[in-house]
Amino acid sequence: MKQFLFFIGKTILILFISLIALDFLYTGVYLQSNSRSKIDHLYQSKNKKYDVVFLGSSRVNNHFVPKLFHEKGYKTFNFGITRSRLEESALMLKLMMERNYSIDTLILQVDLNINTNDHSEAIRSLFMPYLHQSEIIREHYKSIPEYNKLLYIPFYRYMYYDNRIGFREMYNAAIQRETNALYNDGFYPLKTDKRPMVPADLTKYYPKRNKAYEEIKAICKQNNITLIAMTTPMCAETINRDYFNHIHEIYPEIYRMEDTVIDDKYFSTCGHMNEKGAIAFTKIVFDKFFKPKTKS
Amino acid sequence: MFFNSLQFAIFLPIVFIFYWFFANKSRKYQNFILILASYYFYSCWDWRFLFLLVFSTLLDYFSAIKIEGSQTKSSKKFWLWLCISINLGFLGIFKYYNFFAESFAELLNGFGFHTNPVLLNLILPVGISFYTFHGLSYIIDIYYGRIKSERNFVDYSLFVSYFPLLVAGPIERATHLLPQLKVKREFNFEKAKEGVYQIIWGLVKKVVIADSCAIYANEIFDNHNSMNSLSLILGAVYFAFQIYGDFSGYSDIALGTSKLFGIDLLKNFNYPYFSRDIAEFWRRWHISLSSWFRDYLYIPLGGSKGSILFQVRNTFIIFLVSGFWHGANWTFIAWGLINAIYFLPLLLLNRNRKNLDNFTLGLNSSSIRILFNIFSTFCLSTLAWIFFRSKTIHDAIAYIQRMFTNFSFKEEYLAIERYNHNLITLLLIFILVEWFNRTKVEPISGKYSWLKMSFCIGAILALGVFSDYKEFIYFQF
Repeated sequence: MKQFLFFIGKTILILFISLIALDFLYTGVYLQSNSRSKIDHLYQSKNKKYDVVFLGSSRVNNHFVPKLFHEKGYKTFNFGITRSRLEESALMLKLMMERNYSIDTLILQVDLNINTNDHSEAIRSLFMPYLHQSEIIREHYKSIPEYNKLLYIPFYRYMYYDNRIGFREMYNAAIQRETNALYNDGFYPLKTDKRPMVPADLTKYYPKRNKAYEEIKAICKQNNITLIAMTTPMCAETINRDYFNHIHEIYPEIYRMEDTVIDDKYFSTCGHMNEKGAIAFTKIVFDKFFKPKTKS
Repeated sequence: MFFNSLQFAIFLPIVFIFYWFFANKSRKYQNFILILASYYFYSCWDWRFLFLLVFSTLLDYFSAIKIEGSQTKSSKKFWLWLCISINLGFLGIFKYYNFFAESFAELLNGFGFHTNPVLLNLILPVGISFYTFHGLSYIIDIYYGRIKSERNFVDYSLFVSYFPLLVAGPIERATHLLPQLKVKREFNFEKAKEGVYQIIWGLVKKVVIADSCAIYANEIFDNHNSMNSLSLILGAVYFAFQIYGDFSGYSDIALGTSKLFGIDLLKNFNYPYFSRDIAEFWRRWHISLSSWFRDYLYIPLGGSKGSILFQVRNTFIIFLVSGFWHGANWTFIAWGLINAIYFLPLLLLNRNRKNLDNFTLGLNSSSIRILFNIFSTFCLSTLAWIFFRSKTIHDAIAYIQRMFTNFSFKEEYLAIERYNHNLITLLLIFILVEWFNRTKVEPISGKYSWLKMSFCIGAILALGVFSDYKEFIYFQF
């Protein structure tokens, strides 16, 4: 039995060493990567200066064309991430502050994502490689139930989120395989239109006061960032457009832009505009809130 | 509580400590600890079904005593059939009632009688097919006088409910397991070490191979209508490895766990995908079930005695029942039927017991023939797995039809954000490891065992699927 206990002890030691070694390896790789996602790009950058930054979900990622802002002399980047919720947008903004970004204006998409105070597990996972390095990320997640395990058990975060930051992603980051996330300054144009278009049904949606949105407002105020929170276009067939009235009732400062582009030809799906729609919408947004300035 | 869960990782050492440090004075204490652990293990799924398990145990226990004590053959027969009927009755109600009710209603509808069958909203008790078959083998062995009835209820209960085999086998025989429970187990370092290796290898098969394959196979099978030929072929291959990794991985963990308590369980898998024909495949796949059907159904039906037609009938019965045992769905019956059809030429040509020996490969034509036979047997079994995996027979036929008519072999990017070929390297490595260790129980033992174990642990941690958790497939049977 003594021999067996010694054997088990050695096995546990191997397990423990493997956990630590793999944690070091994965974290090391992710700390070198800056071309896989907007989050690693953000983490790797410092002291950036932007006139305008866009934050939100795919309805930002596919809807705002930074190039049109550049042409008018504004330095911008689209940090919208598909599937992200306001909770992740808030963390991205905090991370920008931690990385010493200077931002004049933040355009924040607040529409379907205000229906919930929940988070996106897929996007949350992308912050995990930096958990030990970034105090902001630790602070942001310290109240989640898995926090202690994620922080203190070596490699646990990579196993827990293996689908997103497991071996495949680590391998792609190690060989520096690029994704298209950073092309076009973060704008991802939708080129195909899915027809017949299925109307978006918002009958089950109801806007709520949102903690992350309040947090974003507070950060902007604290850092002298002009916040432009807005809804973004939905196709004309959307069921229960009254949802947008409710948003306005709760947060009157949110600009109503959902009707600015409604023609079906501008939509890839009911909730996402195609490239033409994105260009049209970006122009509308620019004309409403900005004036062209000379390029420096 | 699954074998690949954190709960089990805590449960197992606790039982181990109690078993070897507090109950090692006598086999009675050892058995008592194991039966307590087993009932706790089972109640973690649904404690209500514990009553069913205990009832089934009591039924078999008393029926066996009654059979043995019967003075006349008719009385013996009466107790045997009473016990079989009640056992199969439970299995029938929980597992097959809705299937028969729906099928009967469909049949009547086909004749123009419109019926609405009364369906039961029942949860299938986990492991019911396995412990029912345990009990049946015991009762039948008593009836034929192969063994004496067990009078110690704790020992008998442990035979039925022993936690490593309770929920998905291997389906044990009283003649094999009960004698081990009747003696005090002494700790054996080599056996326990082998058990740990087997558990680790079982985990590699489950969380690295099976669960990775499951992600791709599920995506391809669920969207087969829009997939091209290459994806459909890969989907079928992935499922073949998913079910192998899942079930043989489970069996390895069960056998390894049992070795930690000094008890040997029946071997359930013997590298089935290296079989040279379908008959050999069935001697290597789910061995405890195949041999159960052979001993308690095929041989009583007459087995390979009698005319060739008689043998063909028996073969078809065995495969159809085996398919139906897996679940109440026509797809499982079709899977059994296809395997029977595969088996038929071997039976007719009297070649079903041709490949009994082990083989070695060299640089000669017979080696090429062996490799070709292995490859074609794998292709045949993979084709049959399509029926096993599909939701309906219609889906399976549509899958196969598209696989052979689409003729597009372009790489497809799946909705799960992966290319459909991503797993091939991993599977090739797995096949090579299994191939070079096919004479051993697991590949870790032997030279450089520490290094091999480190690789396995590393593979489980780095390549295992943890976020998209999958139950063991055979738990549903």
